[in-house]
Amino acid sequence: MTHTLHRRGTYENLKNDYVIFAIAAQTVNAKGTAPLFQDFYNIVNKYDPVNIGDMVTGNMYSLSKSVIENGTKDNSIFHAVFTDVETVVKVLKDLKEANLGLSIVVSGILKHVDKCCSEAGIQRHTVENSLGILGNTKKLPTEKVLQINTMCGHGMIAFNLIEYMAEMIKMGKKTAKEAAEELASQCHCGIVNPVRVAAILEEMAKLSVTERD
Amino acid sequence: MIIEKEICIGCKRCQLYCPMECINYNENQRKCEIDLDECVECGICLRSNVCTTDALKQQELDEMRKLRQTFSNPLIPHKTTSVPGRGTEEMKTNDVTGRFRRGHVGVAIELGRPGTGTRFIDVEKVAMAVALIGVTFEMFNPVTDLMVNKATGKIKDDVLNEKVLSAIVEFDVDIDKLEKVLLATKQVANNVDTVFSVDLACRLDQDNTSPAESIAKKLGFEPYITGKTNVGLGRPLFKEGE
Ligand code: SF4
Ligand code: SF4
Repeated sequence: MTHTLHRRGTYENLKNDYVIFAIAAQTVNAKGTAPLFQDFYNIVNKYDPVNIGDMVTGNMYSLSKSVIENGTKDNSIFHAVFTDVETVVKVLKDLKEANLGLSIVVSGILKHVDKCCSEAGIQRHTVENSLGILGNTKKLPTEKVLQINTMCGHGMIAFNLIEYMAEMIKMGKKTAKEAAEELASQCHCGIVNPVRVAAILEEMAKLSVTERD
Repeated sequence: MIIEKEICIGCKRCQLYCPMECINYNENQRKCEIDLDECVECGICLRSNVCTTDALKQQELDEMRKLRQTFSNPLIPHKTTSVPGRGTEEMKTNDVTGRFRRGHVGVAIELGRPGTGTRFIDVEKVAMAVALIGVTFEMFNPVTDLMVNKATGKIKDDVLNEKVLSAIVEFDVDIDKLEKVLLATKQVANNVDTVFSVDLACRLDQDNTSPAESIAKKLGFEPYITGKTNVGLGRPLFKEGE
């Protein structure tokens, strides 16, 4: 369940993409943690995340934030997405101080996250690296479609739907923000970054379908 | 998933949402239909709520269709894990569980990701290729649960042709065997009819570096600049050697 890993992109469009999430170990410390996930929510929500979601309920583009906050369970995996490292540092400092005991994972540019940890006075524990995509890569779509698709690690956003949204923007039938939030709602866990999606869709919309390769 | 022909008005709106592109328009009948051999029962078409006539229906699933569903719909927890989704807690809780210790690497090879889907025949090829090197498949992983032989990676014959959105071959390996595992992974990549995403989870050394990342780079892999960091705030903290 490496759902926040394997996010593809360029340094420029990944430097605004950080997911912070909380999880409890089911065989060790999960019992009675449902309220701790609400504490986690209260901390991350202070800093206006661009997406929030819990794997056991859903994301803020398909449900209200209060449904997500009040639906936490001992097996929740609670996510918040941010667009800058300064906020990541603030969230980490608050989480350290709150000492919830939940495991906290940050997904994003590894060097930046390392720096954020240092600034928050935290020693990194374990790192997971993506080595990329192997196999029959002829089956893959264009790079920009992949950059959006890989923001939902469970593969809930179809390649065709991404192309369709770019066309809708091109035809003036949707704004980039509307299209991005519609795509974000497909990702149950709430780990898609709609700000980053909107920027990529806008770039796609400037090109014809054949130019997008 | 099925489409009730009598109700479908052939608007094709659902087609865009299907990641397996298995909703086809029947020109003669002017209605859509689902190719059940390609459908992975992910439920995305239904959850997207785009069908205005309620023609999309979740049919009763037999054992094999349920198998497809548990590997494709993240809302359905698998019986071997307590968490929803198709994988395990892996490094997310490593600060508390100590699952990946120094000198070991957690490897996950997710077939069908991104966005292409996989049949278990390809999952088996990858599992058997790495098993030859001597790895320990993760006990609580849904793919391991399908193995008839956890030493060889052989998967039950009756599921080999089943298609799922993705499936993760997940194992622990001594760090001195990682090079062989990665070479075998590169080799088997030529023999599968799908794509797969590979990752390494590693407890950081005292100097804050990942020895697994260095080995991968030496073999010509180019790790993404992004990754996941367990920041070590889980409690009680697992203490190695106790
Ligand atoms: S259940 Fe999933 S694979 Fe099957 S038709 Fe619907 S979207 Fe496509
Ligand atoms: S959205 Fe509903 S009515 Fe339209 S093609 Fe699909 S199943 Fe038929």
